Amino acid sequence: MSENKVAIEIKNIHKEFVLLHNKNSTLKQAAVNIFKKGPKTIYKALDGVSFNINKGDFFGIIGRNGSGKSTLLKLIAGIYEPTAGNIYVYGGLTPFIELGVGFNPELSGRDNVYLNGAMLGFTRKQMSAMYDEIVDFAEIGPFMDQKLKNYSSGMQIRLAFSIAIKADNDILMFDEVLAVGDANFQEKCIKQFERLRHSGKTVVLVTHNMVAIKQFCNRALLLNSGRIDFIGEPKEVINRYEKLNRLQDATSK
Amino acid sequence: MKYFNLRNRTILGALVRTDFKIRYQGSFLGYAWSLLRPLLVFAVLYVVFVYIFPLGKGVEHFPTYLLTGIIFWNYFVESTVMGLTSVVARGDLLRKVNLPRYLLVFSSALSALVNFGFGFIVLTIFALLDGIMPNLGWLLIVPIVCELALFSIGISLLLSSLYVRYRDVSYIWEVFIQMGFYASAIIFPLSSVAVSMQKWFFINPIVQIIQDARYVLATNTSATIWSTQGVDWLIKLAPFLIITIIFILGVFTFRSRSKTFAEEI
Repeated sequence: MSENKVAIEIKNIHKEFVLLHNKNSTLKQAAVNIFKKGPKTIYKALDGVSFNINKGDFFGIIGRNGSGKSTLLKLIAGIYEPTAGNIYVYGGLTPFIELGVGFNPELSGRDNVYLNGAMLGFTRKQMSAMYDEIVDFAEIGPFMDQKLKNYSSGMQIRLAFSIAIKADNDILMFDEVLAVGDANFQEKCIKQFERLRHSGKTVVLVTHNMVAIKQFCNRALLLNSGRIDFIGEPKEVINRYEKLNRLQDATSK
Repeated sequence: MKYFNLRNRTILGALVRTDFKIRYQGSFLGYAWSLLRPLLVFAVLYVVFVYIFPLGKGVEHFPTYLLTGIIFWNYFVESTVMGLTSVVARGDLLRKVNLPRYLLVFSSALSALVNFGFGFIVLTIFALLDGIMPNLGWLLIVPIVCELALFSIGISLLLSSLYVRYRDVSYIWEVFIQMGFYASAIIFPLSSVAVSMQKWFFINPIVQIIQDARYVLATNTSATIWSTQGVDWLIKLAPFLIITIIFILGVFTFRSRSKTFAEEI
């Protein structure tokens, strides 16, 4: 029914983390405490969240620190298992929880591109197809056979970012990944996001950068303490977010 | 089969390739070490156990007999020790990408298999010097290696999932390996053990595996579970039963625990 329009369907997701205060990290403790349950707190990171992301959406997720944004992203990516609820993803999904996952300083730039690609679920053939564009975009062509440890931090982040921005999949998710590098490179990044917006791909963006939300997103979601506070037009969502901030700052003072 | 679809094969390939590329990083001889190292280690063992402590006196082709035991044992140790820490060592990956967790354990088993391959090349050289001509019968080594790999993977699945929560596991396993080395008749021939004791050795799957491998590669005078345990079917089945039980236990433990690996590491 709605499957051909919906990219990600999230149904009443709950995620609880069990915080053990005296985690049994040795067998002795575990043996001693086998009948004695240590004090534990259950932390509800997400508490009944339901929404859909449509195909072609540039979807923003905002919220204060600890509101559950990253947990939500990791659940969608399949890194965490939900305590309750269901998540359906229609199409291929590439998550960027962090840039350059799996990067190894002892390997060359080239090897790292393929390694990072494999971790993101791309085959060597797919990576070869993207390789030239990635290197061009990162502007480090002559250094690709050098070891990553000899790269400047700027070069490393540019390479990692280029893989993310050139990654070709139906759904892309970014956690606090926006623009890196110098002004020139940042401009290129912005352009790439613009291109993504018009490409018909589904993009999920978690960020604290309200300008970016306004500039790119057609829909946005505000999370507050693991619950949906508001979902809709980015402008309204940002207004709600700023109101929430003022409110919470006032009560904490 | 979804466990080895293209995506998972790519990840597995990338993990093993990285392991291999990193191993001899910064050394002058580089990859040559993967052959040179077993060659030198075997040369030392050869001198010690053939000339200085001739434990295998009277055993036909003892040098090949000894080295067969060593490469099989090394595979077991390497694959379980790397497998044990594989999940924790790659915790950074698990927290950031949705990676089938069992691939980490498989990659350790596969990396160890690559080294086993190099060891096997060196073993072949020693066997030739020992007057043994490799023949088609050597192909029987394939099912024996598969059995050992299955055993190692079963143990690694079990231990690696426990290691996420209990770091003691690595120390306990270290002691086990030390014990296993002497309980598996690797540097001494099984024939030097009293015949009545041999059946207790054969319950250990490693002994059954290594004795079979020795029978195939070194000498058909090597005592195997088949030739010595007569009609005692319980003993004959014991190693296979142990491997099966550990493998199933490992798969179930790993499957139930792996759901929370990303949170616990």
